[in-house]
Amino acid sequence: MYRFITILMILSFLFLELFIVTDGWAQRYELSMKELEKYKGPIDDPAPFYTNIEGYKRIMPIDAYKKVTYDVDSMKKLWADVVGFRAPDVVGKVAPEIKPGKYTYEDKKKYPFEKLMLKHLYDRFNPPPKSGPRHVGYFTEIEIVPTRQYYHSLPVAEATKKYMGVTKQDSQGYIIQDSYIAGFPFPKPSGPFKAQQIIYNWDKSYNLDTEFYWEHVYGFTKDLRNDYEGMATAYTARLQGRVKWEPLGWFDKRAENQKELKVFQYMSTAPRDLFGNIIQVTSYIDPDRFDLFLMYINSLRRIRRMTASDTQDPAVGQDMIYEDWQGFNQKLTPKRFPYKFEVIGEGEFLVPINWDGATYMSTKEGYILKNIQMERRPLWIVQLTQLDKNYVYSKRVFYIDKEFLYHVHIENYDQKGRLYRTYDTIWGFIPEMGTFNQFHVLALDHVDTHSTAYHSYSYPAVWLTRGDLSMKGMIKMK
Amino acid sequence: MKKKKLLIYLLAIGILGNIGISSTIMAKELLVFDRPLNILGYMSQEIGFSLSDKDRFDTEKGLQTTLTNLFVEIDYKISDTFKFYGSTRITGDWIYQIKHNDSSWHEKEFDKSMGNLNIDEKYWQILREFNFTWTPGKFFFRVGKQIVTWGELLGLRVMDQINPLDSRRALGLNDIEFDYTPIPIWLIRSEFHPGINTKWLQDLAFEFVFNPNADDINDLGVPLGNNEAGIWAPNIRIPDPTAPLEEVRVGSAITKVKSPGHFNHKGYEYAFRIKGVVYDTMITLNAFYGLENSPILRFADPTNPFPVVRLLPNGQVILHPWFEGKFPRFRFFGATMSRDIPFLKVPFLGNVAPILRIEGFYAYQNTFTDSLSAPVSLNEFKKFNEFRIALNVDWKIKIPFLNPKAYFFINPQIYYRGVRHTGGPQDWFDTALTRVGRHNLMTTLYIDTVYLNAKLRPSFFWIHDFEFGGDYYLPQLMYDWSDNWRITLGALIFHGKKLPGWENGSFKSNNGFELFKHKDQIFLRITYRWS
Repeated sequence: MYRFITILMILSFLFLELFIVTDGWAQRYELSMKELEKYKGPIDDPAPFYTNIEGYKRIMPIDAYKKVTYDVDSMKKLWADVVGFRAPDVVGKVAPEIKPGKYTYEDKKKYPFEKLMLKHLYDRFNPPPKSGPRHVGYFTEIEIVPTRQYYHSLPVAEATKKYMGVTKQDSQGYIIQDSYIAGFPFPKPSGPFKAQQIIYNWDKSYNLDTEFYWEHVYGFTKDLRNDYEGMATAYTARLQGRVKWEPLGWFDKRAENQKELKVFQYMSTAPRDLFGNIIQVTSYIDPDRFDLFLMYINSLRRIRRMTASDTQDPAVGQDMIYEDWQGFNQKLTPKRFPYKFEVIGEGEFLVPINWDGATYMSTKEGYILKNIQMERRPLWIVQLTQLDKNYVYSKRVFYIDKEFLYHVHIENYDQKGRLYRTYDTIWGFIPEMGTFNQFHVLALDHVDTHSTAYHSYSYPAVWLTRGDLSMKGMIKMK
Repeated sequence: MKKKKLLIYLLAIGILGNIGISSTIMAKELLVFDRPLNILGYMSQEIGFSLSDKDRFDTEKGLQTTLTNLFVEIDYKISDTFKFYGSTRITGDWIYQIKHNDSSWHEKEFDKSMGNLNIDEKYWQILREFNFTWTPGKFFFRVGKQIVTWGELLGLRVMDQINPLDSRRALGLNDIEFDYTPIPIWLIRSEFHPGINTKWLQDLAFEFVFNPNADDINDLGVPLGNNEAGIWAPNIRIPDPTAPLEEVRVGSAITKVKSPGHFNHKGYEYAFRIKGVVYDTMITLNAFYGLENSPILRFADPTNPFPVVRLLPNGQVILHPWFEGKFPRFRFFGATMSRDIPFLKVPFLGNVAPILRIEGFYAYQNTFTDSLSAPVSLNEFKKFNEFRIALNVDWKIKIPFLNPKAYFFINPQIYYRGVRHTGGPQDWFDTALTRVGRHNLMTTLYIDTVYLNAKLRPSFFWIHDFEFGGDYYLPQLMYDWSDNWRITLGALIFHGKKLPGWENGSFKSNNGFELFKHKDQIFLRITYRWS
C-alpha cells in the first residue's frame, strides 16, 4: 500500500509537470566551451575568432541574430550625433609621422611612440625579459590601423539620445537614481562633475546586457610558471532601463518591485576545486542597498547566502578583486568607500582594439601577445582618489575612450601609493550589433609580480528569463 | 575478499594510468555526441604521525596513517534540461600493508581493523554519486545516488540529516566543509519553482525528497575497540581496583541491529522544504520524517552485558559488550535563515557586513538509551522531545599588520541541544553513544586568511564541548602550488577532562573528546587535482 501511494505520488508529480511547464522552451544557443573554442583556442591560436564566427551569425539562430543586429550606417550616424563627434575626425594630431602600418619594438628608436602610447603599453612594447620577476603580455610587433568610428547598438543610441539631460546629479555629483531611465546617462560629459559623469557612463553601460559569457583564464607566477587555469560561463542581464529587446524597461515584475539593476550568474567549470560553483549577484539601483549574493557551493551541494560587502579579497589565483570585475565593479556611494573624482588629463593614444579576433598569446615566444592591432583613440584620464584608508586601493586611474565610453586601461594603487594592479582590455567589436566584448584582458599584479590573462567573449542571449536567473537557474546551470 | 581487493587495486591502477596517458585531454571539456562532458577529480596521499608522548594501547607511535584517495567525477550535459553526474572514490589506508610485520601494531590489534579501514570496498563506497537531473520548466528532478544538504553551518551538522556520514577517520572532523564525510544514498529529489514574487518575496521553491530505502546505507561512525576502529578507537575505560591495571577497557561490541531492509515502507523517508528569499534573507522551512542514520543500542542481556572478557598479554582486561538495537524513528520541523547584517559593518574592521546564519529544529519523540549510564541503568529505550539550534556568523575583518592585502575570515558558531529528559537518575545516550544532558552547548571557531594571491591559506578550527569540557583543534596550512598541486600540513589535537570519575557527586563516564586525546596527529597531504 505504502509503495503504491509513493509510486502514485511520483507519477502524479511528473504528469503535473508536463501540463504545467510554461516557460523555458525558447530556443537556446548556449554553446559549450569546447564548441566555442573550436573557433579559436584560448592560447597559441591565431585564428580570427570574429571572422570565423561571422560576428556570432554562425552560432545564433537567424531570428535571434536579426533581433540584435542593426543597420551599421544608422548606428554610426546616430551615435556621432549623440556624442557629438566621430573619432576619425579628431585624431592624428599627436606624432603625425606615425602612420598606419606595421611596426616592431625597434621602431621605437625611430618614432616618438612615447608620445602616443600610455606608459604601461610603451613599456610592454618590447621583447619579454629573459630573467628576473616578469609579467606575460609583452608584444614586439603591432599593426596600426586607421582610426574607426565606434558606436553602440541602435536602441541604446536611441535611448541615450532620448534621455539625454534627464539624469540628475546631487550636490556631490552622485546620480539621483530615480532620474535615470535608460541609455548612457552622460554621452557628453561636462561641468564640475564631469569625472563622475564619465564613470557613471560605465556604471550604467550596456556591457554584458543579457548575454551569455564565457572566459578561459590563465595565471602566471613571476617566473612565468602557469599556476592557474580557470574556465567559467555566465549569464548576465540588465534588469532596469532595458532597450535592446523584450522585455523592455524592467526585466519583470520582481525587478520592478525590488528596483533591481543587474544580475550575473557565473559558473566555474575549472579548476577542479571550483567546478560547479555558481555565484549569483543581483544588484539594486540604490547603491547603498547590499546586493543579493547567493552562492551554490558544489562540494556542499547547497546554495548559501553570502555577503555582498566582501569585495576586496583577491579571486583565487587571479590578479583582481570582486570590485575589479570587468575592470570596475564598485558601487558609487558617499557612504561606503567614497572617492574624489577628477579628470586629470585627456589626449590621443594608441589603443589595441580588435575586430577580427586574431590577437593571441604565444606561449612559445615568452607569453607575448601577437596580431595586435592598434588605432589612435581620444581618451580621458580620470582619477578616483579613495577617501577611506581602509580600502585596498588608494586611487584608481582610468583611461576611458571618449567615443564608445568604455575603459581601455586601469591603474590601481595600494595604500602605500605603489602601482598595485593594472587592468588592460583589448575590446572586441561586433559592428553589426554595435556591441563590445572584453576579448582579451591582462590583469597584472605589480607588487607581487603575477599575471592573469583572460580570454573571454559574450553574445546576446535572448532566451534568458528569470527562470535562468533565480535559485532554479542556479541549480539548473550546474 | 582478496579477489575484490585485487579488483579495486586494478581499477585504481587503470584509472590512474588513464589519467597519466590522457592528462592533456582531461584538462579540457570533451564533446560526446556534441554535448559537453567534464571529467574531473583528484588524487591525494596523506601521511599521519602520532603526537602521542608515549606508547599507549589506544594509539600507535610514529607513522599511523597513509591514506590514499582517488576521486573521479563525470558531469555530462545530455541536453539543456537533462544531465548525468557520477563520481567514484577509491580510498585506501596502506598502513595495514606497511605495518604488516610490526609487533606493536599486532599487539594492539590494529591489524584486525583492516576490514573496516584498509580499503573502502563496498559498492556504495566506491560509487559515490550516480544521478540524473531533469529540469523542465519550473521543475527540477534528480533521481539516483546523491547528497542532499540542508544545513548552513561549517563543521557542525544540525539540519543535514538526510545523508548518513562517514566519520570513521579522524571522526570526520578534518573535513570542515563536508567534502567527503556525507555518504550519498539513493534518493528522489524534486523541486517546484512557481516563479512567484512580491514586494517582500524575491524567490520561492518547494522541495520534496523521498528515500525509497533502496539500500542499507547508514552512518559509518567510530566503532568500539582497536580491532574495529583501528587507531581511532575511543579509549573507554572503567575503573576497577580489582583489575590488573586497576581499570578495564571496553573493546569491540557484538551488535545485533534490526534494520528495515530494502524497499521496505518502514524504511521510507520523506523530507519537505520550502525555501525562499524574503527581504534579501534566505529562509527555509524544513520537515523530515524518517529514521536515524545510526542505531540506538542497549545491552542484549543486561544480566550479562559483557559476555566476552579477554586478558591481553600486557595484563589489560578487555570487555566486549553485547548490544541489540534498532534504527529509531526520527522526525522534525525546523527552519534556517541567513542574511547579512549591514549595520555591523565597521570601517576600521574593513567595512564588511557579517552574515548571520541560524538553523534549528524541534524533534518529536526521539529515542535515547540509558544502557551506558553508570551506576544506574535500566537498560531501556526512552523517547524525549528535543530542540537543536545553531547560530553562525561569517565575518571578514581586516587586520593590516598581519595581512595588508586580504581579509581574515572569522566564523564563530554556537550549538545548543536541549533534551527534555523526564526524571530518573540515569544518564541518557543518543545514537552516537554520546551522553546527552538536558542542556548541551558546543561552540566552534574557524579563522582563515590568504596570502600570495590566495594561494597560501593558513586556517584554524576549534571546537569546545561544554558538556564534557573537551576541545578539538585543527591548525592547518594549505598551499596551492598550482591549480593542480596542493600541499596541506595540519594537526589534529584533542583535549578533554580527566575522566572517568566522580564529579559533583555523580559518576561521569569518559566521553566526548577525552576519548580521543591520545590521537593527536600531525598530517601532510599532497593532492593532485585535474579538470
